[in-house]
Amino acid sequence: MPQVLVPTVCPYCGAGCQFFISVEKERATGIEYMPEHPASEGSLCSKGNAALEILYHPDRLHHPLKRKGDGWARISWNDALELTARGLGGALKRFGPECVGFLSSSKCTNEENYLIEKMARCLGSRNIDNCARLCHSPSVVGLNRTLGAAGMTNPISDIANSKCIFIIGSNLAENHAVLSRWIHRARDSGAVVIVADPRMTHTAWMADIFLQLKPGTDVALLCGMAHVIVKEGLVDSEYIGKWTRGYERLVESVLDYTPEKVSEITGIPAGDIVRAARAYAISPASSILYSMGITQHSTGTDNVQAIANLALICGQLGRQGTGVMPLRGQNNVQGACDMGALAEFYPGYRRADDPETAKFFSCAWGVDLPVGRGLTATEMVDAAARGKIRAMYIVGEDPANSDPSSSYTRDALEGLDFLVVQDIFMTATAQMADLVLPASAWAEKEGSYTSTERRVQWSCKAIEPPGEARSDLEIVCALANSLGLEFNYPDAASVLSEINQLVPQYGGIVRERLNGAGLVWPCPNPDHPGTPILHTQGFKLQDGRAAIVPVQYRPAAEEASWEYPFILTTGRVAVHHNAGSMTRRSPSLIEREPELFVEINTQDAVKLRIADGDEVRVTSPRGGTTARARLTGRVKRGVVFMPFHFPGTNMLTTEATDPEAKIPEFKVSACKISRRD
Amino acid sequence: MPVYVDISRCIGCRSCEVACKRVHGGKGHVNVHMAGDHASVPIFCHHCEEATCTMACYTGALYKDAERTAFDVEKCTGCGLCQLACPFGVVWSDKIAHKCDLCAGRENPACLVSCPANALSTDFELASRRARARAAMAVARGR
Repeated sequence: MPQVLVPTVCPYCGAGCQFFISVEKERATGIEYMPEHPASEGSLCSKGNAALEILYHPDRLHHPLKRKGDGWARISWNDALELTARGLGGALKRFGPECVGFLSSSKCTNEENYLIEKMARCLGSRNIDNCARLCHSPSVVGLNRTLGAAGMTNPISDIANSKCIFIIGSNLAENHAVLSRWIHRARDSGAVVIVADPRMTHTAWMADIFLQLKPGTDVALLCGMAHVIVKEGLVDSEYIGKWTRGYERLVESVLDYTPEKVSEITGIPAGDIVRAARAYAISPASSILYSMGITQHSTGTDNVQAIANLALICGQLGRQGTGVMPLRGQNNVQGACDMGALAEFYPGYRRADDPETAKFFSCAWGVDLPVGRGLTATEMVDAAARGKIRAMYIVGEDPANSDPSSSYTRDALEGLDFLVVQDIFMTATAQMADLVLPASAWAEKEGSYTSTERRVQWSCKAIEPPGEARSDLEIVCALANSLGLEFNYPDAASVLSEINQLVPQYGGIVRERLNGAGLVWPCPNPDHPGTPILHTQGFKLQDGRAAIVPVQYRPAAEEASWEYPFILTTGRVAVHHNAGSMTRRSPSLIEREPELFVEINTQDAVKLRIADGDEVRVTSPRGGTTARARLTGRVKRGVVFMPFHFPGTNMLTTEATDPEAKIPEFKVSACKISRRD
Repeated sequence: MPVYVDISRCIGCRSCEVACKRVHGGKGHVNVHMAGDHASVPIFCHHCEEATCTMACYTGALYKDAERTAFDVEKCTGCGLCQLACPFGVVWSDKIAHKCDLCAGRENPACLVSCPANALSTDFELASRRARARAAMAVARGR
């Protein structure tokens, strides 16, 4: 039987693992590993191994659907496109482009993100965003400001060269599992691993020094470490003098953060703070890995800046084994940001509030473009709740489950005049739509994805989409054309060649060069080999120097109170991914983690007469949900943990956001727990 | 050559479980157990030298083939005695017995290639070399 092996990029996290799909008689029949891949070396986590299970799932959307009373009516693509054009076009005409919102998807390819963003802006709307808002928007803001580039500075495989690995707010063992092989390799050659997390995660098992901090006190910890490093003279003065500005102000700002004071705020023994600071500063090559435990806070941007400060004063950048590594959660969240599917940036991180940017893209696209930043994903929901946004086009995102304070978000989306959702499954958000468009999964389309290490890789089409489902690229082009724009792109490669012209970082990332392991941006021209390590020769900021931006500790927006005595922190588990629309439909994943649970410290549980496995009610000022209690020593007393893959968790989370990046504070919400009987 | 596990590397991601299940038509032979809050341990077929499953199997469906404990599905009656006999609980049966075949027909077992943490190997020397290196490192660091 003829069997073809088609290389594709895994649809789950941002590590960028590739695998082959074996195709027989136009059906995807199996996965073959790819040992030559530079980040994964052929390995895959449980989600990657189960990826094919969603392709032929009976819940897949096969036809465009239109709301009819409480149910759905199947309609033709022509009718669907006409209705969408009428709905969005009508809102644009009646209320103006500012009243229409677009959510692009970090699960879509670079090409699709570019087109969705281009369509939104060509229609005059500045309101374009993607779910990076909910994961790494503080990295985009904070790292662009301090280091001049938002992205992992060093490749994943370079972690093996590190002599001290500081992991803060990341449970990479479960969420970016393939990174652990590189950490183990570094440990084999003597590296020290420091893990800071409110929870004893699987990642903490790898730690030599484990700092179990109180949720929301990261700035205090990082400033405390900077205090020790400055006080003990462990800074890299030569590096500071040559490559940075603002060091003096930092020295002043960390003066008060003595280990004793920081210990009081964070709950970490003072001695451990000192040990961690020394280990990081002294080592010849230290790297910092972080993810949502740093960003999903009302102090998210400050957290990121505090991390950059630490790396800068110790000179731990621009060399092998060093770096600041934000680990991205979705397979193309880096690419969606690079392509400008963000309220404040056009493609290539050109600022939306800069008239020069609008002028540049007006020339390129042949339309007048609005200047200024638009509404972010979270602001769009607020605006929808206030009636300022009247219509929305949502591609591959599920804000009804993934946004904080779900009942508020659901009310806001219900209130829209017109909502069209494009997805592969009937998500909670799609349930609320007027029109649902069936899209393609990763294996059913082609295009490029940018992994967390800035590696742009091409994913090939293995099979046809089910029923009448189409690729997002086709849908967006057809929709743009029916809205009066001219989008003539026959395939993804033709979009990529436009991106090559307009995004300097992607200048040399042409289709022909993307076979195999791809290229790492910045890659400005077709002869450029790509740039695996950033900042080797200074920074893309004024005078080539990085900016040290002092930050001060602010408590989280919500604290435990008499009525809500627990701090809820959220996160992911190994066998599920984000809002779970894919993994909860994957039999071999859902059977391993079938329901929502809440981890609670055994001593707290005993006081509440809760036993392991009890069904409990978790309530916050925003709402409540039921979950299965898991008694554990993984969380300290007063802290509880819930994964956000199931509807329910985000009923509880607070809508407080970071003032700059507008990311919600998913990681700290007050709640109470009681037995259900 | 059974699959050796370096427990200090296991991260409890259950990739081996899902990979094994995937390549064996939905009937996997690996179980990852969470040992309290501090470790996870994948339980594999040991391919025991004196394999109790082969002793219990009265039809000879389970038998020793050099280092491997092999399984001949044609001879299996599905009696389930092997499941009772296995001291590690890795052989199980529904209508027939299911046990690790070290992914016959593949260059390497799927679990081993798939393991994101590099915790699995069929090389006994590697497993013991890593353990010695870890012990040496602990001495050098003074703990």
